[in-house]
Formats: sequence, structure tokens, C-alpha cells
Amino acid sequence: MKFIRNLIRTPEGTVGLCILAILALIAILAPVLSPGDPLHIAGRALLPPFSDPSFPLGTDRLGRDVMAGIIHGTRTSLLVGIAAALAAITIGLCVGLTAGFAGGLIDEALMRLVDAFQIVPGFLLALAFVSVVGASVPIVVLAIALGAWPNPARLTRVQVLSIKERDYVASARVIGMHPVEIALKEILPNALPPVLALSAIIVAAAILTEAALSFLGLGDPNTVTWGSMIAEGRNILRSSPFLSVFPGIALVITVVGVYLFSEGLTKALAGRRI
Amino acid sequence: MSIASLSRRTLFQAGAALLASTALPRFARAQNAPSGGRLIVAADSEPKNLNPAIVASNGVFFIASKVVEPLAEASFESKDGLSPRLATSWEGSADGRSVTFKLREGVKWHDGKPFTSADVAFSALNIWKPLQNLGRLVFANLETVDTPDEATAIFRFSKPTPVQLIRNALPVVSSVVPKHVYEGTDIATNPANTKLIGTGPFKFAEYKPGEYYRLTKNENYWSEGEPKLDEVIFRVLPDRAGAGAALEAEEIQLAAFSAVPLTDLDRISKVPGIKIISEGYEALTYQLVVEINHRRKELSDIKVRQAIAHAINRKFVVDTIFLGYAAASTGPVPKNAPEFYDADVPTYDFDVAKANALLDEAGYSKGANGTRFSLKLRPAPYFNETRQFGDYLRQALAAIGIDAQLFNADSAAHQKAVYTDHDFDLAVAPPVFRGDPAISTTILVQSGIPAGVPFSNQGGYGSKELDGIIAKAAETVDTPARTELYKQFQRIVAADLPLINVAEWGFITVARDTVLNVSNNPRWAVSNWADTALHS
Amino acid sequence: MNRVLRLIRRRAISSIPVLLIVVVLTFLLLESASGDAVDAYLLSIGGGDATVAQALRQAYGLDQSMFARLWLYASSLARLDLGWSVAFGRPVFDLILERLPNTLLLMGSATVLSFGLGSTLGIVAGAKPESLGDRALSTVSLVLYAIPSFWLGLVLSIIFAVQLRWLPTSGIETIASDKTGLARVTDIAWHLVLPVSALTLIYMALFLRVMRAGMAEAWTMDFVLFARSKGLSRTRIVLRHVARNALLPLVTMLGLQSAAMLGGSVVIESIFAIPGFGRLAQEAVSGRDAPLLMGIIVVSAVLVIGVNLVIDIIYAALDPRIGASEPRA
Repeated sequence: MKFIRNLIRTPEGTVGLCILAILALIAILAPVLSPGDPLHIAGRALLPPFSDPSFPLGTDRLGRDVMAGIIHGTRTSLLVGIAAALAAITIGLCVGLTAGFAGGLIDEALMRLVDAFQIVPGFLLALAFVSVVGASVPIVVLAIALGAWPNPARLTRVQVLSIKERDYVASARVIGMHPVEIALKEILPNALPPVLALSAIIVAAAILTEAALSFLGLGDPNTVTWGSMIAEGRNILRSSPFLSVFPGIALVITVVGVYLFSEGLTKALAGRRI
Repeated sequence: MSIASLSRRTLFQAGAALLASTALPRFARAQNAPSGGRLIVAADSEPKNLNPAIVASNGVFFIASKVVEPLAEASFESKDGLSPRLATSWEGSADGRSVTFKLREGVKWHDGKPFTSADVAFSALNIWKPLQNLGRLVFANLETVDTPDEATAIFRFSKPTPVQLIRNALPVVSSVVPKHVYEGTDIATNPANTKLIGTGPFKFAEYKPGEYYRLTKNENYWSEGEPKLDEVIFRVLPDRAGAGAALEAEEIQLAAFSAVPLTDLDRISKVPGIKIISEGYEALTYQLVVEINHRRKELSDIKVRQAIAHAINRKFVVDTIFLGYAAASTGPVPKNAPEFYDADVPTYDFDVAKANALLDEAGYSKGANGTRFSLKLRPAPYFNETRQFGDYLRQALAAIGIDAQLFNADSAAHQKAVYTDHDFDLAVAPPVFRGDPAISTTILVQSGIPAGVPFSNQGGYGSKELDGIIAKAAETVDTPARTELYKQFQRIVAADLPLINVAEWGFITVARDTVLNVSNNPRWAVSNWADTALHS
Repeated sequence: MNRVLRLIRRRAISSIPVLLIVVVLTFLLLESASGDAVDAYLLSIGGGDATVAQALRQAYGLDQSMFARLWLYASSLARLDLGWSVAFGRPVFDLILERLPNTLLLMGSATVLSFGLGSTLGIVAGAKPESLGDRALSTVSLVLYAIPSFWLGLVLSIIFAVQLRWLPTSGIETIASDKTGLARVTDIAWHLVLPVSALTLIYMALFLRVMRAGMAEAWTMDFVLFARSKGLSRTRIVLRHVARNALLPLVTMLGLQSAAMLGGSVVIESIFAIPGFGRLAQEAVSGRDAPLLMGIIVVSAVLVIGVNLVIDIIYAALDPRIGASEPRA
């Protein structure tokens, strides 16, 4: 609780948290705010925004409601971002914990693997992965996570190495706790916060990567995401700019919100440490 | 008559009529076109093998047709719809065992050597028949090519081969390459496959990968006073927005093959100095087709296939997805092929109630969630429109209680999934009608084609009746009899629905006003552009 | 000097297993792909029958076992031979050599500019943390960062190339212009203005924020407080002490960013029709061209390793406490 108070005390944290809370609310209430399939062809194609009260933001190339797309897009875009970050952090934590705790040859081997993933341009990796496996939301999430896990892994390992030598861990070892138990009970809770601060950046990057993949035609056609809306709208960027501008604004707001939140988080964490 | 004054939609629909009539209005034809100038054209792909004798595809022809010429080219006004190029006349024997070509005299290759019947014989026997993707089919029974003199080539076939087929295929399969360059080499890897040597109005000058192809004027071209242009440059613009922007900024003068997206046409047509032309693709008609996997129990039921055909609103597809630059299809032969087209076939109008009734009749009633069954739908990724139609079809199927899951894959993965692994229930494909049903249309419904052949029947459909007609037409020499067989073929396909033909479309050319003599034959984009000129 | 040499040698040795992992993983990825080089080729030519497909698979060596091909590739790579591209029918090395300079030019200029602009603005913002100027700069850069690069690229192109016609829409230089010497250099620079601006605007935010954060931290440090108590002028403190201290994390950021920059070129190269590395990678993937894709990934990995090595050397020079003996995580 004190932590959240710290977070709210920073202006970044407050604004970020508010933006994210609103977005989360829209995502959760999407089926209520805009019932039915957002990809349903609902009206005449390319209605301009603010001209028809039933389609406040107009319709797209096929006559799908842009407003519905943005509302439901909040869901998938946040989902892609959060799921990618969760996957990246999970992989990173596991590898980092194992490497840091085991040490020796295992550490060496795992860190080379981390190096290997880190020197391959992440977007190239995602592009190749989605192209060859096929575009669907889980695959896109996994592709983004594949490029994002090395950083949390490194960070976790460094944390583990520094915590490992501290007294309470040493004493746990003395009283005969199993190494895995020590890792989970003593080290993980301490290594987690800085890794979580990193996760916000991964969320933002993931949402942008999904948009770029959609632009290259590698999006999931069964769900609506802001990225796919922008990518589709850019074909008519000149005649109907609103089609890519509205989802673009939503994307910018989200990324800014996530960033401010992470900034606040970092500050709050720093405050806690002092 | 100016092009802009006509509605684009009427023009497209009138395309077939134009083709059929001999009194063709001459649009924007400048007889005394000025000479000189550099024409810069947008290109979106860089084929690895540029030799049209080996790779008969529109991507290759777009560039290569200016350098390497066929025996004859498609034409709006001439007899048989062909105008002579390297051949001046062609005559089939009554038994269908031979075709005699009289060749143009005094033609020189770009390296100065004379063009003779030996080049034609070599190209036919060593390249078209064994190596070319379409020639393998058309020239399957070609035995020898006699060359009694330098200007005569007689093609001899082991089985009767319809002269109608040869004639219709000529523009596509008969690109002649020089024997003296290819003989005794590994044809597939010959350097001339990328640095072309031909007889055409332009010589291949330079290729900068990722940037451009440059062709320069052939001063010794056989047609007096042609080519008009000094240079043609194909500028590589991979992004879809690139061609339109470059046209407006006057960096390029022409974009063919709908390089400017349909959605941008309305706006760009209002830009002063830019014209939109929908002619010049009449012999390159693309068809929007729903491929069906008949291995799937539900889809092997004709009632279900009929229901799907009734669920598709062709007017929406034409008006909204193609923005009017297309026509609704009735069957496997497009209206643009009046020689074969038969309108008298079973049709399926948009009728959701009827579709639902058909599905109920077939025994697939709606479940609690309103769904009857689920399908895997794979739209081909090659065109914006095929993907969009995939999005639409999913919604159209939802309206009749069929839940379709879209699978988005890149080209290679799509090809493997549909044509090799048969991992689909419905697929959206854009096959091309190449002037004769035997070339690439019958293969879409014929049975017994091994897995792995792209753009063929891989849906497990088999009909003895259709197979019989296809086999019979392949050796029917008499033109009216052969045409009648294909009309029968259309009626059966439309009734039995091995696949569903939805729409047919040609592409759009966008050019600056300064470009003259554009789109004056039915394969203009892939013809030689000898008379195309630039107004300075 | 000795220390630097030792650093280079050790880094070179430790890179070998890393590169090996990269090669094997890339190979496995393409191996698991649906559709191979022959499928991709047949599609591009509009079809072909089963015999053609069979003959092509033989010619490409795709009929051999997976391990045989991997071994063949790895052993030729050991001899520094990048192999033969199936989709282009040319040596991979030539293809890469042709495209790499364009990408290096594009990304190099964008990196230098975004680093320069980002750190300068970061200093301005960090000079007075939490001030109005600081907040404005931070927010604007954040918004720019959140705009998808393809969208920014398209909009810049429409405004400056199509509407105002100040700059060319796309390409790396005027096509077939026979320009040489200085005229050609100017021409290329002119063509690079828009793509470089798009990338700079996006990446600037990263450097700005790191610089600013580093400075905010430095303000609280003892030596800065001491300098302030001595009554040194604010500008002098900012430049001499605070900014200088914040520079180290910025340099680290540069190393981390180098890999991302290479990947980010795909989209911008495609929009501005620049024949570069990213586009080549995209073509390699869509053509299922395993040797080419592996070549591209190995070369970019070597580049990233090289950049990080240089950065380590700079780091060591900036901060003598970090010796060559200490492994940097």
C-alpha cells in the first residue's frame, strides 16, 4: 500500500495510472460498450467521422465501425502488450535465476544464449518468426517476447548475484534449505521489482511492434488491433486520414500512459530503497 | 472521346463488348507521336529469372516483353485477336498435327546476329516445351519443328493439337530467345536470363538490384520509326503508397498493375495531369475464386456449396472491395473471353434466407450459439483485395451460421498449406484467365493432379464428366466443336460448384497525361510499348 | 593499449559460441517454416508442375537431410563463405555487400543525429528537472516515440515530398542519373533527409530520457552538491559535472540500441524504397532463402558485437575504473 502511495505521489505515476485505469476499464467493458463482433460489416463503407450518430468515428473500407474497432482494439492491444511482457519476464526470470543461482558452466551457457538473442535485431527475429509460423495473436505475442526476454534475464541474474551473498540467503543455505526453495522464497521477491519496472517498457514496445508487424501484413485477421487498423488505414491515408489517425491517437495515449507509469514506478521503487 | 469522361464502371463492363466488336473507338491514339524521352515506370517486384521463354508470368513479362518478343501479340482489332510480331502469319493443318509459321525477315538480335527459324525451333524444343511453366502444357505433344528455310517454322505434333489453343496461347508462351546465346549452355543458369538479349524495341541496359531496371532504345528495330522512347526505366517501389506519391511528385510517369491502390484512385484522378486507365488488361483477367476442400464432409454436400454461393453478395464485392473496378462472375470463364463465355449457366443470387434454408435442408441446423459448423478459411495474401474478400467472406458466412476462422500466412506458407498439405476448408485464390480455358482454368477443377502444384485443383474434387470434357477438348481440332465443349464445361462447373467464382477484374493503369499510346492492346502492360511515347 | 587488445581478443573468442547459437537457431526457425524456397519460387512465377518442383528441390539441395544441410552451411561459414542465395541466384556475400552500405548510412546518420539531439535536449531538460521545459520536452519526445515509424514516415513523405515537393519521395539516389563525386554525395544526402528524420524523431526520445534520468540522479550526488555549495555557475555545473556523469549510461544505451536500430530499418527501408539490409531480410524470409537470412543475421550479429566492443573501449576510456578484466554483464 505504501508502495502505491509512493507511486501516486509522483506526477508521472498519477497520470500514467489514470490513463491505464481508463484503458483497462474500456478493455473490460468492451462487450458492453460495443456489443457484437467489431469486425462485423455494419454500414456503408468509408463514412466520415462525426457524420452519423450510430458511427461516431465513421466506418472503414468495408463498412466496419471504427469506434467499435478502437474499443475492442484496446482489449487486444493491451492483451498483446501485457502478454508479451509477461512472457518475456517469465522467460527472463527463469533463465536469470537459473544462471545466477547455478553459476559455473550453466551460467556461462545460458549467458551465451542471452547474448545470442540480444545481438539479433529483435524486430527481424519477430518478422522471421511470424512469417514462418503464421500470424495469430499468440504467435505475435511469442515473437515479441522472444526478442524481449534477454534484458530481464540479465537484470535478474545481476540481482541474484548481488543478493546471493547477502546474509539472509547465506543463513538460509546454512539451515539446509533446498537451492530451488531459496531461489523462490528469498531471491525472487527481491529481484522482482526492478525487473517489473522494465516490463512497462516491454509492454509499450510490444504494442508498437505488433503495429509494425500488421503494417507488413503479419497481423491476425480474426481480431481487431489498433496496429491492424492503422496498417489498413494507411492505404487511404490521403483520402480518409481519420482511419489511421484515430487508432494512432489511441496507440500514442497508451504508450505514453505505460511509459509514465513505468517512470512513476521507477521513482517509487527508488523512494522505497532509500 | 476522352477516357475520363466515361464512367470507369461502364468501361470495365463494356470491355468484353469492345473486344468483340471490330469497330473499336480509338482512344487517345496519337499516330504522329513525338520521339525521344525517358519513361519511368513503377515496378513492385524483381524477378530472379527475367527470361520470358522460361518464366511465363506477368511479373516477368512486365519488364521482359520490351526486350524479348513473342511470335504474336494480343490485339483489339486484328483477326483472331492477334497482331503479328516475330511471326507474320500462322496456319494450322486440318488434322491438328502441324502449324506453319511464316517469320518476319530482316530482324536482328540485339547483339547484331540475324533472327531465323532456327531460333524459333530452338526456343520451342529446348525451352518452351521442357522448361516453361505454361509451355509444358501447350507444347506437350510437340515433336519436331521443321525449318525448310530461314523464314518458315513448321511445328509438328504427335497428337492432334487444337490450333485454337496454340493461337490463344501465342502471346504468352512464344517468347523467342537467341539460339546462339543459349545453345550448348545450361539454359536455367545462362547469364542471359538476367541480362536479356532479344529482338524487341528496347535493349536491356542495366539492373541495379533494389533500385531500377534500365532499357534503352533499339536503333535497329524492325518496325520503322519505333520505338518512340529513348529509355524505359522500371523503378522498384516496394511500398504500396510509393507509386502514387512518386506519380504525384512527377518522379515517375506511369504505374501499371494497380500499383496505385484502388482506394486511392478516386483522389488521384482529381490531381491535375494524372489520368486513370482501366483498359489494356482485357487478356489478363484475374478471377476471384473460393476454393473448396471437398474432403471436408460438410463441403462435399452440394447444398452447402450452393448455400455459400448464395451467401456471397457479389455486388458488395464489386462495389466495395473492388470499388467498381471489377465485374461479378457467373462461371469459370470470364466475360472478357467472348469466344468462350457462356452466360447461360446456373447463377446464385445473394439470398441469405435461401442459403439458411439450404443448410437446414442439408441437415446442418444452427446450434445453441447460432453456429452450424466451423471452417478454416485461407485467403491468398498476394492482393489487398483477396485479403479483404477473406475478411468479408468470414462475415458473410457468419450470417448463415458458419463460423470461419481466418488464417493469415505469407505466400510460401499459403502455397504449402493449400496446394501441398490441403490444410484448408475454404481458400480465396486469384487465378488468371490466360485466353484459353485449357491453359490455366481447367486445371482448377480437373482431378488427379499431384499435390504441390500451385493454382490447381487440390480440393479433392473429382468429376468423371468434367474430366472427360477436358480430355476431349484437349484434342478437338475443330474450333466450334471445341468451343462448344468449353461452354458445356462452364455449365457443369457452375452447377456442381467445385469452386465458387465470385468476381473478375483487370488492373488499373495510372499515368501522367504526357504519356501517349497507353493501353492500346488487351495485354498492354506486358506488351512491347514500341509506340508508347512521351509528350514533352 | 594492452588492455584494449586483451579486451578485443577475449571478446572475439567469446563471440564464437554466440554466433554458432545464432546460426543454429536461425536455421531451425526456417526449417520449421511452412513452405520452402521452391514453394516461394513457384508462386512468384505463377505455378509449375510436380516435376519442376522436384527438379528445383534437387538443384537447391533441399532434398538432402536437415543435418546434412546445416553441417554444410556451418562448415562453409567456418571458411568465411556465406554461401549461395537461392532466391536471388547470387552469392550471399555479394548481396550483403551491395545492401549493407545503404543501411549503415541510414542507421549511422540516424543514430548520430538522435544521439546528438537526444543528449543535447536531455541536458536542457535535465538542467532543471521537473521544470516546465523539462516536462514539455519529455512529453513531446514520448509522443514522437509512440508514433509507429511507418506512419510517421508516410506522413513526412506526403508533406515534404508530395505536397511541398522539397524532397524526393523515395530511393537512395536519383535513378540512372550518372552523378559522380560531390554531386552524387549531395544527391544521396538529399534522399536520406526524410528517412533519417523519421528515425531520428523516434529514437531521440530514448536518448533524451536516459540522459535526463541520469542527470536527475547526478543532481543529488555529493560532488554536485559540493560544487553548488562552492557557488559555481549553474551552466558550469550542468555541463562539467552533471551532464558528464550522465553520459556513461547513455553510451551503454547506444550499444543496446544498435541491434534494435538494424531491425528497425525494415519498415523505413520499405516505405522509402531504400535497397538496404532490412528489405533484403524481408525478401529472404518471404523467399524462404535460408542461406541469405542466416548470412544477414550473422553479419548483423557481428556488427552488433563490433559496435559493443567499440563502446566498451570508449567506456574504458571514459571511466578508467572499468578494467578489461571485469566482465561486463
